[in-house]
Amino acid sequence: MSAAAPVLEGRNLTKHFWVKRGRGPFARRTAVNAVDNVSVRLEGGSVTALVGESGAGKTTVGRLLAKIIKPDAGSILVDGKPAPSGRPRSYAATVQMVFQDPFASLNPVHRIRHHLARPLQIHHLAAGDVNTVVAGLLGRVALKPPAQFAAKFPHELSGGQRQRVAIARALAVRPRVLIADEPVSMLDVSIRLGILNLLADLRDEDRLAILYVTHDIASARYLADTIAVMYAGQLVEVAPSVELTDHPAHPYTQLLLSAAPDPDRAQPPVLAGSGAPPSLLAPPSGCRFHPRCPHAMDVCKRKAPPNITVAPDHIAACWLHVDPSERQASENGAIATGPLEKAETKR
Amino acid sequence: MTIDTTALAKIPPAGPAAGPVLQRGRILRLPRSPKVIAGLFIVAVFGLIALIGRWVVPYSPNATDSQNWVQHVLVPGTGGDSGFPASYYPLPYGPSAAHWLGTTVFAQDVWSQLLASTQATMFVGLLAAAIATALSIIFGVSAGYIGGATDEGLSLIANVFLAIPGLPLLIVLADYVPSAGSSIFLVAAIIAVTTWAYSARTLRAQTLSLRNRDFVEAARVSGEGRTRIILAEILPNLVPIVAASFLFTTLAAIYAYVAISFLGLGGSPTGSPAGLWNWGEMLREGFANNAVRGGWWWWWAPPGICVALLGTGLALLNFGIDEFINPRLRTAGLTARAAKKAGIKLGTAVGVTPVASISPIAVKPATSAADAVLEIHGLSVDYGYGAEAVHAVMNCDLVLRRGRVLGLAGESGSGKTTLALAAMRLLRQPAVITSGQVLFHSRPFTGEGPKGTIDLLAAGLHQLREVRWSEIAVVLQSSLNALNPVITVGAQFDDLLRVHRPKLSALDRWARSGELLEMVGMNADRLRSYPHELSGGMRQRAMIAMALALEPQVMILDEPTTALDVVTQREILEELMGLRDRLGFAALFITHDLSLLVELADEIAVMYAGRLMERAPAASLFHAPRLPYTHGLLNCFPPMHGKRVPMEGIPGSPPDLRDLPSGCAFHPRCRWAMDRCTREVPQLAPVDGSGREVACWLHRDGAQVPAELARPEPAQRPALMRVSEQ
Repeated sequence: MSAAAPVLEGRNLTKHFWVKRGRGPFARRTAVNAVDNVSVRLEGGSVTALVGESGAGKTTVGRLLAKIIKPDAGSILVDGKPAPSGRPRSYAATVQMVFQDPFASLNPVHRIRHHLARPLQIHHLAAGDVNTVVAGLLGRVALKPPAQFAAKFPHELSGGQRQRVAIARALAVRPRVLIADEPVSMLDVSIRLGILNLLADLRDEDRLAILYVTHDIASARYLADTIAVMYAGQLVEVAPSVELTDHPAHPYTQLLLSAAPDPDRAQPPVLAGSGAPPSLLAPPSGCRFHPRCPHAMDVCKRKAPPNITVAPDHIAACWLHVDPSERQASENGAIATGPLEKAETKR
Repeated sequence: MTIDTTALAKIPPAGPAAGPVLQRGRILRLPRSPKVIAGLFIVAVFGLIALIGRWVVPYSPNATDSQNWVQHVLVPGTGGDSGFPASYYPLPYGPSAAHWLGTTVFAQDVWSQLLASTQATMFVGLLAAAIATALSIIFGVSAGYIGGATDEGLSLIANVFLAIPGLPLLIVLADYVPSAGSSIFLVAAIIAVTTWAYSARTLRAQTLSLRNRDFVEAARVSGEGRTRIILAEILPNLVPIVAASFLFTTLAAIYAYVAISFLGLGGSPTGSPAGLWNWGEMLREGFANNAVRGGWWWWWAPPGICVALLGTGLALLNFGIDEFINPRLRTAGLTARAAKKAGIKLGTAVGVTPVASISPIAVKPATSAADAVLEIHGLSVDYGYGAEAVHAVMNCDLVLRRGRVLGLAGESGSGKTTLALAAMRLLRQPAVITSGQVLFHSRPFTGEGPKGTIDLLAAGLHQLREVRWSEIAVVLQSSLNALNPVITVGAQFDDLLRVHRPKLSALDRWARSGELLEMVGMNADRLRSYPHELSGGMRQRAMIAMALALEPQVMILDEPTTALDVVTQREILEELMGLRDRLGFAALFITHDLSLLVELADEIAVMYAGRLMERAPAASLFHAPRLPYTHGLLNCFPPMHGKRVPMEGIPGSPPDLRDLPSGCAFHPRCRWAMDRCTREVPQLAPVDGSGREVACWLHRDGAQVPAELARPEPAQRPALMRVSEQ
């Protein structure tokens, strides 16, 4: 990663959701560790993919970075400087979000023009004619002729067209960061690539920093420059996308890859692991993946693994990559300084 | 994924019309229902009377003419030779030309009173409803949107008002507020205070659900302020509900006003200070002066009928709004009428897709393959009838062979689910099968059950019941939500086995249930679990186990793993394919994920816009697609290996079934489309003499086949996930 400060950085983000267990006067509030000590760096002109199963906390990370929800711990930095507290308009002008469901993210009672014009009005960006800017935005996301689309209601558009409108709305304030939460998972297969290619264009031409949240590792490989894999609220592996899919270092990444559909496979796949993600009400001790891990060792049950650099820019949080002689040493706090280790001591 | 009837009903039936036209269509459609027209008519008539009634009365409602407008009847035992002075009591006249609704005992004209009463009654109703609706919007929407302590405080206030019985409070208020009776504004305010809480609660609930919608969140992310979000984003979505609660409150307010006037709290029109004439006051006078006992129906019946009529009118309008909000209500009645109009006779059997009797089933003679278990010939399915019908499936042929996996691939709306469910006749109206033949060649594994060939489209309900589940089981994407949440998984297995395997004892049933769970990779202990204690993957496994419980010959798997994570999906598919090898059932696997299908199916059929477009062995389809659509679809899945290259996908979007392109439905998105493709619909026909079929003009009549569609056939190999070849 470059030496310059990233456009947007989340440092040691932690988020607990409180749930009630039991009923009436016997109810207890229990914390769900949705996101635990996750650090993400988003650089201009690059796409970072956040990959994981449902419940891994990837959407929560996106919403934390968009400041829709407040973190319980950790900080958000813009250009290396702490972001202002709350959600001021200046932050909205920097960080924008595209939601998963294009059928829910546009207000059914308003025309497309309203959806695109409002952000311009809020941020006082339409110095001249609002309609011209709106037409320009619609052209940017390949909805032509723009005038015709601007006059339509959301229900008159297909899913793919709606998602393009949602992207245009996010672009209206000329943000530098775009958080795309599963932008294609609700769309038909044949139009997904169109949206992914649009995001790639925005990265290359507008130098946007994009966080692409997805469960589909193949599309992450296609679009992203860097892939971060999340498991049970924690980051387990971060690497350049081709490096990560070709040489996965963390057993969980290996499991995900072995399960993904891949018609090119010559051999029937062998699942590298089994079971389901743990309950985040009481996550497993040590490495959260150890109950499912085919390589689990004794140390995995006791201590959270440190972040190990297994190759340039390739970090995995796994004891397998710690030299056996140092596994003991690290238990004494010799090398492990990663955020995961901090999480362990805090708990 | 599924085209269900509600989804169809929600979309306004219009072509490529521009926005304003469609939107107007939405509003104009409201009065089309006869109920709404009747409601509008009634309310309009009363509204007109309310507006002009006071000025078109033939007499003043207070006017008395005691000489001419009442009969004078001698009180028995007075006058004449009784020794007492003659005493008369008044008797009102019945309807006549001079007094359309007769007169009262006070020698007043009832018709005039009725006309004059309408205004105050409706005014109080509307005013009270307006105040109540304003209160409920302020309380309900702010409580719902702001949440937290504000919500708790406001909800507490609303609940207190809900808990207070309305009428007693009204009586107390009307009695103690000085001069309340004579001021209709005060009366309206009192009624509003007692009726707003119901609507506030509804609006709060709706706002709560809207608050977390993505479009509200999106507005927040774009920097929109709270007030604007409530006014511009949330309120417009509440309009139908606000309208419905306004009408409901109007109705309640009118009843309340009539009630308190009837109790004498509304102020007498002839008293001081003078109250206003209203229906309740008319009823009160009538009842207080023996109108019922005297049989003077013209005095008390008209105001009563007016209250009932206006109530009916408002309720009918409200019903129309309900239908507007929830289109599901609308289709129910329309279905039968539309079918009748199109001349289709529909069976009344519930749970069976009707087969249209208008056209004789035109089928080519079935040439059954020896190992075929399910054969579908020329199946066509419509949603709706006659000219408005949407052709969801057109002329499809499929043959499922014993022990094989047939993959059915297509995008949403391509008709793949409709095809499978219609073959089982599991779709409800307005789905209708317009032609075709579905043959099930039964050779039950259990030795019991129906044997021989059954025509499912000709079968009766009883015969279908014998086949469904026990011989042909269906697992849907949403099956995991089909488990009953209040009884244990074990009890649900037990129910199933008790009905279909009556010979098994309770212990045997329990053992068999455990065995079934273990078959799909679950611990038998899970029989004691309730569905909510299981994860989504577990529940779907349990459903698959249940589908397998009766050893079916055919499994129809409609996106069984789409809602699940990849790892769970892979585990379940491995279990399923292992079971298929062991138990020997045939599977029809429906999914949009062609890359997954290539790994597990023996043969794949590709659907587009309701038609089967290509059918080939899985490996051939993947390595050497012949159809441009298949070729494009395969290029929509980024590879997991090798260098990353830009991919294009397929331009455009899937067509709207209500407005299909001419000729080949794929031609607007096809890079090789020819002139012919825009005119003629290609039919599925063999190519290469290799046993594979494609519906594409590029492979007909010596057309130039692009290199991408002429790759050599790969060496045949079994599907990847097939553990052993039988």
